[in-house]
Amino acid sequence: MGREVAESCVDAVVIEMVSAFCHNFYSAEPELAARRIEAIGYQVGHQLVERYTMDCPRFTDHLEAIKFICKEFWSELFKKQIDNLKTNHRGTFVLQDNMFRWITRISPNPLQENTTESIATNDDNQTTQTTSMHLYFPCGIIRGALTSLGIPCVVSADISHRPACSFVVRIKA
Amino acid sequence: MQFFGGSAAIGITPSPAAPPGTATSLSGNNANMLYIFNRNGVCLLYREWHRPLRTLDAQQDQKLMFGLLFSLRSFTAKMDPTSVDKGNLGVPLLPGQGCSYHSFQTNTYKLSFMESPSGIKLILVTHPKTGDLRDSLRYMYNLYVEYVVKNPIYVPGSAIKCELFNTNLDQYVKTLI
Repeated sequence: MGREVAESCVDAVVIEMVSAFCHNFYSAEPELAARRIEAIGYQVGHQLVERYTMDCPRFTDHLEAIKFICKEFWSELFKKQIDNLKTNHRGTFVLQDNMFRWITRISPNPLQENTTESIATNDDNQTTQTTSMHLYFPCGIIRGALTSLGIPCVVSADISHRPACSFVVRIKA
Repeated sequence: MQFFGGSAAIGITPSPAAPPGTATSLSGNNANMLYIFNRNGVCLLYREWHRPLRTLDAQQDQKLMFGLLFSLRSFTAKMDPTSVDKGNLGVPLLPGQGCSYHSFQTNTYKLSFMESPSGIKLILVTHPKTGDLRDSLRYMYNLYVEYVVKNPIYVPGSAIKCELFNTNLDQYVKTLI
């Protein structure tokens, strides 16, 4: 595959896309913005997985497909694999990435000595909001990839410990 | 008598910058101050680790610093003995044009300077025995790009309030010789 793009360009495009949808297009309805971003991710994941599974044989079961996503797919996208995979063997998988590249740079304002409680929590809220907005796109990518492999599912993200984030995949039975 | 003990003496004679290795402030940092300006003269960041003498308030201090950089720049360009084509001396110079200075030194401190092509100016004030700090300044500029420019919350042109950037900067400054 001949042509390459700098990683900074991709990072910048993702940041600008999230910012454009949140502030310009659907500034009054963050829910709609989130859904549009997830839909874009769905398309991207759908097409990417076609490209990356060109020479692979068909996957035998759900676990194999998820393992493919965790290893080869994630390495192609982010140059690292998923750090931790948990499952309850009943259709729910948790993919944990300890250093997810698109949210490592989100940094809160530093706490000053005379910050009041409300200002401090405001900053924290803003960080949490920005982080969750940025995670809709990768959720869409995972959903698009799995659907294209024949596994309809629902993906959500969990950001309790930054910069580690978990993607929860629930397969529709 | 009164010449040596009076309070008038304090605040006029600057105390010498601490040599490396002595724990001056709580963290034993080896730099005194850092300024970051953008191309319009807005001071994006002012950070100090060890500054016993303060003559002006913060606003005036920053304006004075930016004015100094601007004048030094045109001065060094005009005094350049090697360039044949003098060009238009009244026109403001772009970041790469003309000759650019990188440091000046007094008996108590050394001021190192770096300007990026986008007009971001970094000024680092350290003790006088420091070597050439251009690589360190370039590393700090990389830190700025990584943690400030790529932070989705940061608004370009405003003051830098970024926890990750401050932490990494402090860590790096501790390793400067």
